[in-house]
Amino acid sequence: MNHKIIIAYTSLLSTLSACSTLEEKPEALLVSEQFYLTEVQATSAVTGTYRKLYESGQSLYNSLIQIGVEMATDDYEAGPRARNPHVRAISGLTHDASNDRMEQLWKQSYDAINASNLNIKNITAMTDNQIRPNIKNRLLLEAKFLRALHYFNLVRWFGDVPLIIDPVTSLTPAQLYVSKSSEETIYTQIQNDLLEAQDLPGYLEYNELDRGRATRGAAKSLLAKVYLTQELWQLARDKSKEVIDEEGYGLFNTFAEVFATDRKNGVEHIFSAQFQGNSGYQGNSLASRSAPADIPGINGDYADALHLEGRLYQAFESTDSRRTITFTTGKTSPVDGQYYGLAQPQFDKYYDESVIGNQDQSSKNLPIIRFAEVLLIYAEAENELSAAPSPEAISALNKVRARANATLYLGGDDGDSFRELIFEERRKELVYEYQRWFDLARRGADYYVAKLRTANKLLAAPRHIHFPTPQRELNINPNLSQHPDWINF
Amino acid sequence: MKTKRVSKYSWLLLLLLSIISSSKGQQTSPIINASLEGIVIDANTKEPIEGATVQLEAVTHLVRTDASGKFVFVTGQKLPFSVTISYVGYATKTLIISKSPTVIELESDLSGLEEVVIVGYGAVKRRDLTGAVASLPNEYLKQNISALDQVLKGGISGVQVTQTSGQPGGGVSVRIRGGASIQGGNEPLYVIDGFPIYNQPESTGINSGTALNPLASINPSEIESMEVLKDAAATAIYGSRGANGVVIVTTKKGINGGAKLTYDGTFGAQSAIKQIDVLGAQDFATLRNEVMYDTNPSLGRQQYLSQNAIDALGAGTNWQDEAFRTARVLNQQLSLLGGGDRVQYYVGANYFDQQGIIKNTDFKRIGFRSNISARPYEKLQIGVNLSINRTQAQIAPTRIVNSLLIMPPTATVYEADGSYTLRNPFENIFANPIASLLETTNQQVGLRTLGTTFAQYDIVPGLQAKVLLGADLNTRTDKFYLPSYIYEGSVNNGRANLGSLDYYSWLNENTLTYTKSINQHNFNMLLGFTQQEARSAIFNAGSENFVTDELLYNSLQSGSTLLRPESGSYAWVLHSFISRVGYNYLNKYYATASLRRDGSSRFGANNKWGNFPSLALSWRVSEENFLKERASFLQDLKLRTSFGMTGNLEIGQYQSLSTLYALNYQIGNSIATGFASRGLPNENLGWETTYQYDAGIDLSLFNNRLQFIFDWYYKKTDDLLLNVEVPWTSGYANSLKNFGSVRNTGLELNLKSSNITGKLTWTTDLNLSLNRNKVLSLADGNSSLIIGNYIIQVGQPLGTFYGAATDGILQLGEETTRGVYTGNAIPRAGDRLYVDVDGDGQFTTANDRRILGNAQPNYLFGITNTLYYKGFDLSILVQGTVGNKILNINRQELEMFTGQQNASTDALQRWTPENPSNSYPRAKLDPAPIFSDQFVEDGSFLRLQSLQFGYTIPKSWSNHTLSSVRFYMVGQNLLTWTKYRGFDPEVTSGSNVQIGTDLGIYPVAKSLSIGASITF
Repeated sequence: MNHKIIIAYTSLLSTLSACSTLEEKPEALLVSEQFYLTEVQATSAVTGTYRKLYESGQSLYNSLIQIGVEMATDDYEAGPRARNPHVRAISGLTHDASNDRMEQLWKQSYDAINASNLNIKNITAMTDNQIRPNIKNRLLLEAKFLRALHYFNLVRWFGDVPLIIDPVTSLTPAQLYVSKSSEETIYTQIQNDLLEAQDLPGYLEYNELDRGRATRGAAKSLLAKVYLTQELWQLARDKSKEVIDEEGYGLFNTFAEVFATDRKNGVEHIFSAQFQGNSGYQGNSLASRSAPADIPGINGDYADALHLEGRLYQAFESTDSRRTITFTTGKTSPVDGQYYGLAQPQFDKYYDESVIGNQDQSSKNLPIIRFAEVLLIYAEAENELSAAPSPEAISALNKVRARANATLYLGGDDGDSFRELIFEERRKELVYEYQRWFDLARRGADYYVAKLRTANKLLAAPRHIHFPTPQRELNINPNLSQHPDWINF
Repeated sequence: MKTKRVSKYSWLLLLLLSIISSSKGQQTSPIINASLEGIVIDANTKEPIEGATVQLEAVTHLVRTDASGKFVFVTGQKLPFSVTISYVGYATKTLIISKSPTVIELESDLSGLEEVVIVGYGAVKRRDLTGAVASLPNEYLKQNISALDQVLKGGISGVQVTQTSGQPGGGVSVRIRGGASIQGGNEPLYVIDGFPIYNQPESTGINSGTALNPLASINPSEIESMEVLKDAAATAIYGSRGANGVVIVTTKKGINGGAKLTYDGTFGAQSAIKQIDVLGAQDFATLRNEVMYDTNPSLGRQQYLSQNAIDALGAGTNWQDEAFRTARVLNQQLSLLGGGDRVQYYVGANYFDQQGIIKNTDFKRIGFRSNISARPYEKLQIGVNLSINRTQAQIAPTRIVNSLLIMPPTATVYEADGSYTLRNPFENIFANPIASLLETTNQQVGLRTLGTTFAQYDIVPGLQAKVLLGADLNTRTDKFYLPSYIYEGSVNNGRANLGSLDYYSWLNENTLTYTKSINQHNFNMLLGFTQQEARSAIFNAGSENFVTDELLYNSLQSGSTLLRPESGSYAWVLHSFISRVGYNYLNKYYATASLRRDGSSRFGANNKWGNFPSLALSWRVSEENFLKERASFLQDLKLRTSFGMTGNLEIGQYQSLSTLYALNYQIGNSIATGFASRGLPNENLGWETTYQYDAGIDLSLFNNRLQFIFDWYYKKTDDLLLNVEVPWTSGYANSLKNFGSVRNTGLELNLKSSNITGKLTWTTDLNLSLNRNKVLSLADGNSSLIIGNYIIQVGQPLGTFYGAATDGILQLGEETTRGVYTGNAIPRAGDRLYVDVDGDGQFTTANDRRILGNAQPNYLFGITNTLYYKGFDLSILVQGTVGNKILNINRQELEMFTGQQNASTDALQRWTPENPSNSYPRAKLDPAPIFSDQFVEDGSFLRLQSLQFGYTIPKSWSNHTLSSVRFYMVGQNLLTWTKYRGFDPEVTSGSNVQIGTDLGIYPVAKSLSIGASITF
């Protein structure tokens, strides 16, 4: 009798033990080993990397560069509703290495770079059975374009930075604790990636469903901008000329069309961060950050404000159509129908009429590089290469001015004055497009400090043409050193 | 897989059938030809004892006494009988009875040595314990408390219980012999009627505010006993889940003898222990004027309000008064227990309804329990312990307490037109907390079925086989709605979310136990295989933009904007082989060894399996003749020592894998799905291993009137799991690694004293514990890691605060000399000064930080006094901690005198040229939020945790239908002595790293209840 029970008992044990397994097979998550096996997967990995332009919350191209960088210029300041003391510190130029917005600039950029590095490594390893060669090549070049864009930002913000082009595969100190590379080395990497990315399809070669991806024109335009920043005038001139002549871009007829939601990825948009509100998706939050806070029903945050003492608003001619697109001086309340005037002009470029009261969901794209800027790059480089403003440079400038109904420039200045004119034009054309700090910083410390002091930001100092390397990184990585200008600040 | 499951149950069925068929032949009927009647009474009070067990020697039959202490025995034997009578709390008595009926007197047993203590996969008499196992005194189970883990507070040495929220049904943090884990869980393993549960809330991602305590879904008034397993000898049998200690919970079971129906009801009122002093409207308006003048002097000194307007203000809104209330708490319990020879049952029903002391928060539980055991055949015992509970809670939205404090008193709850004021009218935007509180629907409705069922068969004398199956089924629906007329909902015209959780875990345990005694050599053995699997799935959906707020969360399709739905799932599996051998000689020399082998799905491919051994030795010195003869005052002296290894596997799911997450982007004007990597794989990820030594002495003196239990332990945890911060340049912020070691060492003392016995009895139970925590090493040669306001540093305990040290206030004329120590670019008199720790001649937040104390208490204590006199009973539970620090985040906010949010009354002492304070800085718009020693406060406290006073009506008064009536009152947290300035010193953030941070939790309430317990 008893052995019968024992048999039953043992059988029960053996059956039950077969019933669950220790191997982990997540049902709701993908594991890296299951990925990069098909063309669709590779494409979606690169798609995910575009999203790293602004992943969530205050993210790079969704307000972080405004908050963490542009605040430190003569045109912007922390608005009345900007309560983060770190942001106010940047606006008042009292920020230091523990500033949390700066940490985010660093962190998010490297996160995006790592995503590209993973794409490049894993897609390179895919076979022809898994992916068509032309798609494979295109995805690799898209990843390289994005990597170059982020390194270009990093090197301009922080100077020397660690150069990482292979994904980290293990937690060893050798892989984790990377020391800085010189600006020169970083620029070489950026140039190499962009030179390769010039083999991407042109924007008209993509079908409608792929609009918004990096293109040959985007790679060339960004490369021209890189050369310009490096003051490689000849290369910058030639590359921007190539874009102007060969890539099929042009200016919209009106400035308003640049920010119209029905003109997205149009003839002037070379590369933009793509936004779409109210579709379970993140909108362009610059719209809400600049929208008025005290008009019933508008529900703005008013955290990004115009720095009045910089006199940007006054710099526009009254006929200049850009002024009314860029700024608002009052709005009608959707609640009570009354018009409310504002105490001072507020930014309005991304204000989306289709989501009044909910500007977080603005569907307006944020231009990263557009044709008007390429014209100005060309004008600037051309000017640096000639003793006096050349007709080509003047013509490029005037295309931008003409479109905006601004007075055409007739010439007569020397090269130095013309340079100032171009910078002034960039300032007006590209307001609220994350350009001002870069423009001031690339002119050098004296220029930056002078401009800010003129605008009554008296704490501006030469070190401010870079940002400090985040203290958190210095704490963790023994091989990292602070930017020399920022030691002891 | 599906067919395998079916086959599993069919095998079980087969087993049961085979057992039943094999048992049939052995059934014998007793020959009834004699009877014994008697009554069992207390030798001291002469009151009858109900439920005492009366057993005839040589016969397995036993009976229990009824409500009047009577028993009747019908047996095949003849007088005289040898009878053994036993009852909890009384010395077991064996005597020869030669006449019937008879009266038997039982002496109360103070030693408790014969009491049975439940341990892992078994039970032993306290006398035979080799490990450090503590039983919770009964008085603790009688408190008026919503969750079973909270009743442990103050009751057992070495156990620290701290609230993480005073929200009804809210969480607590329990640490047994100190916390060691940083990233992993530190909560003990709960074993409820044999079912292991790790107490961790799960979120569906839609609710706002604190997570509810999952153990609140189990009714604490049905608990018979709680044991805490502390040393490795006791916990190693739980292997990879034993490192944080184990709490064994046994629910009430049926008894042999009659049926007893008990109604127990309490009704009480709760209120806030205190309010925080903040500025009234006039003082606030003055402050704001000052700030505005400071920012922009050209506009004058009264930019906010004129002096006349200020004078007309009155007190303004007291936001705390608006939110707090006196709240009721109600508990009704009905139970029936009883049984006969072969079947015993306990069935109960419970309704618990607690309002929160903050308006529109509550917790309700309705539940049923059915514990039934039966012995259908002589050799077979079967049983089921099953409970079903439905819970419903409305939770206070996140940061509500903080908002109540900083909302300006000049703002009103309602606008003139009767609608809610939407938000703080000033620059710092946050919602009107009263509107958020009253109008947000933030509910969780859960249903939890927890049960075990077992069959145990006596194969041969001493050898038993047991199969146990258990299930924990937990489903929850979460509901959330923000109406369009409050600030949070106004942006999106209302937002509705629904979330669902579906969790189940099943358990199978198969054990063989064997006990054998040969010539005073006593053996017991345990061998088994167990497996547990859990699966969890969540789902949530939501929508926005409603045309009406009427529908709440009930009609997601009515919102014009759909929110992206989310779902997720996980599973884990644990396979274990368990074994234990116990040996003793002459009940004097004891040795116990155990070994568990655990295989867990949670760890890296190279590290799935681990072994967890333990060894314990003990010696009952008091049984030696040399002591027995010389020391008659000594009833028990036992020396114990143990060593063992345990693990901690509470690291979450899929941590060793490199998982991907969805990340979408707009391509070609439509949304394309993207994926990105979440982290690095770590195939070597393993459990944290704890090595623990324990040495203890048990001592009973003077007829057991004085009992000591003393333990020393040393606990070292290696391979700690930490989400180590990695450079962001890697693309990741952190990565989980086995990184270093932490030790906890300490002393525990338990003293139980029967001060007075007789008509008046007075007992005192005192426990004192002292734990010293220290980080021994960190990975990669690092000596410290800074995490927020904390530093993890070799040589320092976990929970060490790290920040700036204040150094007074900058006074007029010092701007150029000491201004560099303010950290401000343009220092001004009235700014706060900080110590230049690194001596570089200036203050910077990054470089000038130092250790500011730690959150670990020097010692913890609990004292219980219990008195009985002529039916009156009084229990006084006092507990406290000494030497721990608390980071008061609320105060950090309240001492920003910005005029944009309210400030503490300390603002009245702020620096002004006329009042050159050296303690409080000046008012200004943008003070830097620097974490400093200013906000690290002494968290020591002494608390009257529970006061219970009751009166039991004498049996002679009550008629036959009522067997017992007791009226009582229970007060919780009635008195607290502390210097801590926040709401309550019993507070922690619930995070392992941020121990002792008071983030502005829902404050704990004090309460007073009255109740009656009536047994029929």
